[in-house]
Amino acid sequence: MAEYTKYVDVTKCDGCRACMVACKNWNDLPAEPEKFQGSVQSHANVTANTWNVLSFIEHEDSKGNLDYLFRHSSCFHCSEAACVKVCPEEAMHYTDFGTVNVDSDKCVGCGYCVQNCPFDVVQLATYKDKNGKEYKKAQKCTMCVDRLEEGMQPACVTTCHTDAMEFGTQEEMLKKAEKRLSEIKDKYPNAMIYNPEGVGGTHTIYVLAEKPSVYGLPEKPKVPTSAVVWKDYAQPIGKMMLGATSMALVGAFVSNKLFNKEGKGHEEDGGGSHE
Amino acid sequence: MKKSVVSKEYQKLQKDIIELQEQWKTSLDPDCVRPNLDKAAMEAGVPVTALAAIDFDISLFLQWIEDIGALLSKYQPEIETSMQSLKNLLDEETAKRWIDEAFAFNYIYFASFAEENDLDGWIPQFVAETVLRPYLQLTAVKVQDEIHHGVHGAGCPVCGEPVRLAQLEGEGKKVLHCPRCSAHWNDRRVACSHCGNNDHETVKILTIEGESAAQIQICEECKGYTKVIDTRQYIVKPTPAMLDLNTIHLDFVAQEHGYKSAGETKQTN
Repeated sequence: MAEYTKYVDVTKCDGCRACMVACKNWNDLPAEPEKFQGSVQSHANVTANTWNVLSFIEHEDSKGNLDYLFRHSSCFHCSEAACVKVCPEEAMHYTDFGTVNVDSDKCVGCGYCVQNCPFDVVQLATYKDKNGKEYKKAQKCTMCVDRLEEGMQPACVTTCHTDAMEFGTQEEMLKKAEKRLSEIKDKYPNAMIYNPEGVGGTHTIYVLAEKPSVYGLPEKPKVPTSAVVWKDYAQPIGKMMLGATSMALVGAFVSNKLFNKEGKGHEEDGGGSHE
Repeated sequence: MKKSVVSKEYQKLQKDIIELQEQWKTSLDPDCVRPNLDKAAMEAGVPVTALAAIDFDISLFLQWIEDIGALLSKYQPEIETSMQSLKNLLDEETAKRWIDEAFAFNYIYFASFAEENDLDGWIPQFVAETVLRPYLQLTAVKVQDEIHHGVHGAGCPVCGEPVRLAQLEGEGKKVLHCPRCSAHWNDRRVACSHCGNNDHETVKILTIEGESAAQIQICEECKGYTKVIDTRQYIVKPTPAMLDLNTIHLDFVAQEHGYKSAGETKQTN
């Protein structure tokens, strides 16, 4: 099956937020009333129930002029995804379209994917069963895999009225990005295609007008070394010896020691801080 | 999300048939179809194929019937005997008659042909229609640039097939597509594609839960319906024939609600 890529040209985006609405609507995601963020941006980041956030960035360009930058942000669907690498239950997996999905039946809510995603797009949602018991599941943009299976484009792409988003085969979208880059280089000297190699390339590629960091993106994201260690060494031995339930407990301990992002902030390479 | 009610296997068979028809169409000499674009006739709703001069190659026609027989037998081996007896029945005279009757969509003729020759009722017309389509499609290719609008109530301006499928294109333009000959022409978004009624009180939309890209436009005046598919949402646009097949559940819904694929012409004095 062909691998598909979402192409996002931020220089065409006018910040209408229709993609956010289409995403909520198609995926039946509940509304999340937010406090005023100090700007017109509605949510600070994607959450477990808001998989797609339009970020609004006030940027001073090299000439000292104010530029208002918009970016549709959701899961990047990395080709070598850290979330897939660290998932102890194989709930995070690649689909036939090359995108990354969560199998909710398998997900135990351990949160390793949340801790290891270099883009901070995976979050845990809390659910209650009929006995009132709470449990957690990882949630993120699915690239509307249910639509892809029917030969249709993701909901966000179909609603974009400025054609800032398009969807097609990887090759086509990369060509489109390169063409567009050559068109905007004069206006935006720092413009670039964002398709980071450190995660094997992504299935959402951007044409950015400025450096990634301006958009709050890591310049050189990569799969954290600790994640590789975890999956390749710790987990198979642990699973053999302990079984899945005990493994989750040990895993939580190891994870807190090794991977914990909290308080460390984001470094520019996005993955270096985990080592 | 709702998947098509048509089985994957049948979809695959239809795709193979469409591919075969495409091959047949491209193998035809383009000059074997000579359309006569009579403006007055077209404005009166006469389909282009009715006035076109078409040179049918009977030996090719018989060859195609063999090809389609082989394809059908691949999917349903028990059909092979019927296809063999059909091959024996078809001489040049019968083939000529088949072309005429398929053009006229004379299902009564094909039903009695099947009965007389002890064939399954669907076989003769299905085969005749399948092998006729490449000629209709070639005609559509040749005149497409001249076809901008249809005449409401007259069906496809190229082959006369009743209208039942529209696609939303560009910025929401409603374009009617013929699943039979693949011609396409424009229509007003809010108008009934059968009678041209554009009263928003009587032209309505039926939507189906879970269908994000499809709706049914219905007309209370002529009781006709048109399936309107937003193909801009598709990654790869399906052919009109496949789109028509895969949305057959919409036809059921519309017909269960009392609407018809050909609207009724209102009697006036």
